[in-house]
Amino acid sequence: MSRDLKGRDRRRHAGDRVAAWSLGFAALLAAAPAIAIVGLLLYRGAPAISLEFLFTFPTDGMTAGGLFPALLGTLWLVGVSLVFAVPVGVLAGIWLSEYAGDGRLTRLAELAVVNLAGVPSIVHALFGLGAFVLFFHLGASILAAGLTLGVMTLPVIITSTRAALRSVPHAFRVAAWNLGLSRWQTIRAIVLPNALPGILTGVILQVSRAAGETAPILFTGAALYLPVVPTSPTQETMALSNHLFVLLTQIPGVPDDAKYGTALVLLVLVMAINSAAIALRWRLRGRRAW
Amino acid sequence: MVAEAVAVRGLHARYGDQVALNHLDLAVARNTILAIIGPARSGKSTLLSVLNRTLEHVPSARWSGEVRLHGAPIAGLDPTALRRRVAMVLPLPVGLPLSIRDNVTLAPRMSGVRDRDRLAEIVETSLRRAALWDEVKDRLDELGTRLSGGQQQRLTLARALSTAPELLCLDEFSIAIDPITTARIEEALAELRASMTIILVTNLLGQARRTADRTAFLLDGELVEEGPTAELFADPREPRTRDYLAGRFG
Repeated sequence: MSRDLKGRDRRRHAGDRVAAWSLGFAALLAAAPAIAIVGLLLYRGAPAISLEFLFTFPTDGMTAGGLFPALLGTLWLVGVSLVFAVPVGVLAGIWLSEYAGDGRLTRLAELAVVNLAGVPSIVHALFGLGAFVLFFHLGASILAAGLTLGVMTLPVIITSTRAALRSVPHAFRVAAWNLGLSRWQTIRAIVLPNALPGILTGVILQVSRAAGETAPILFTGAALYLPVVPTSPTQETMALSNHLFVLLTQIPGVPDDAKYGTALVLLVLVMAINSAAIALRWRLRGRRAW
Repeated sequence: MVAEAVAVRGLHARYGDQVALNHLDLAVARNTILAIIGPARSGKSTLLSVLNRTLEHVPSARWSGEVRLHGAPIAGLDPTALRRRVAMVLPLPVGLPLSIRDNVTLAPRMSGVRDRDRLAEIVETSLRRAALWDEVKDRLDELGTRLSGGQQQRLTLARALSTAPELLCLDEFSIAIDPITTARIEEALAELRASMTIILVTNLLGQARRTADRTAFLLDGELVEEGPTAELFADPREPRTRDYLAGRFG
């Protein structure tokens, strides 16, 4: 009997080791492409980066010069999409989590949100073309493209807001109600501040997605080349993601340096936005404790 | 001037199809402590949540009947204003993730008190009345959630007292805290009785006997018996009360 137990123990230890190794290997496998991409872009793209590259217009039929208008355009597009998607998404998330109850309308709304999250970005592009460019007569513009990106990012912002609010213990709400706080006061003073880090996480993820997607802006406001920087949301604009696509497929004779450099700028921009938001989240989370 | 702080007539409450309170009549005199005893699911907590109308936050719950607070039917009052007059302390201490100071000033601030001196005064009086002031007076800006369980329950009590309520309801406040804290809160309640009426739901018969002027026994949503604490414990009229007190239930 004791020998039997020993055998079982040995098998269990072996199983433990196998699990630890395979989990570690999987983690490495997941990290490897990210490291490879960043490494390759740094290695091949860094030589192209200069102040001139960042802050001048493309020249010589886009085979030389910089990417300034595309960089600025991407900031415009992300900005417009956030101005639309954050308020609408957060408010909808609050309604779903705190007010909606469990009726048929709620379930319909939740189903719609989940399905919207699964819509491919090229379909969002067609929706944006039909709705914003044509139906609302916005034309191909920053506004139309930004709103299309906003619609695309909306479901994740709604779902993550809702999840963040739900993760705040119900006992906090009950305690606040017992003190005579109204439903909205409870949300504003107790629930929302504690859900903020989670809400922010959803927004961060969507910022990078909005900056990186090409399809949704393709027919709604992205220009191949413009000789001016956009100054109003009614104009068309160049954008980094589309610019990269154009350099890779539409223009012959672009030096590889410039292609990798453009990809590197897009990556660094997205990573910079993410890091800023992550830093903000850590600061907010530091204040929380339960 | 109405002598009764709380007057309940024909109170009926249910969750969906499940009846929680069945045509309950109960009166609580001003500046007394009433203990409510009874086994689990007898309707004790439901009764308290009708008194401050937080039951209305439970989607499936409904109540009917007449409940008066100092003569005024509570159904006609604004629920948030009512809850500042009927304070509630729940079984598990809930330190809100705010500083100790902000925990205590939350309700007054939300009802429009802005004056800093007035708020500071509320913090000190409420914490003193909850027997917590001496332990936290030097660290009012620390998080309330960092306090020990016993301290958090006294913080909960201080928070409940911050609106100077007329009626204080405590729902098994001692189940999660140590005996020393329990004793300190019981002493605090004896002093608070001078300025408010107190309803104390408890499963600890000793606690009811020590603190309450009168005791009510609830069973399956019905009031079985109510009377002066000493009498009810020494010589209950109802056989069901006698069985419960003798521990022959459940």
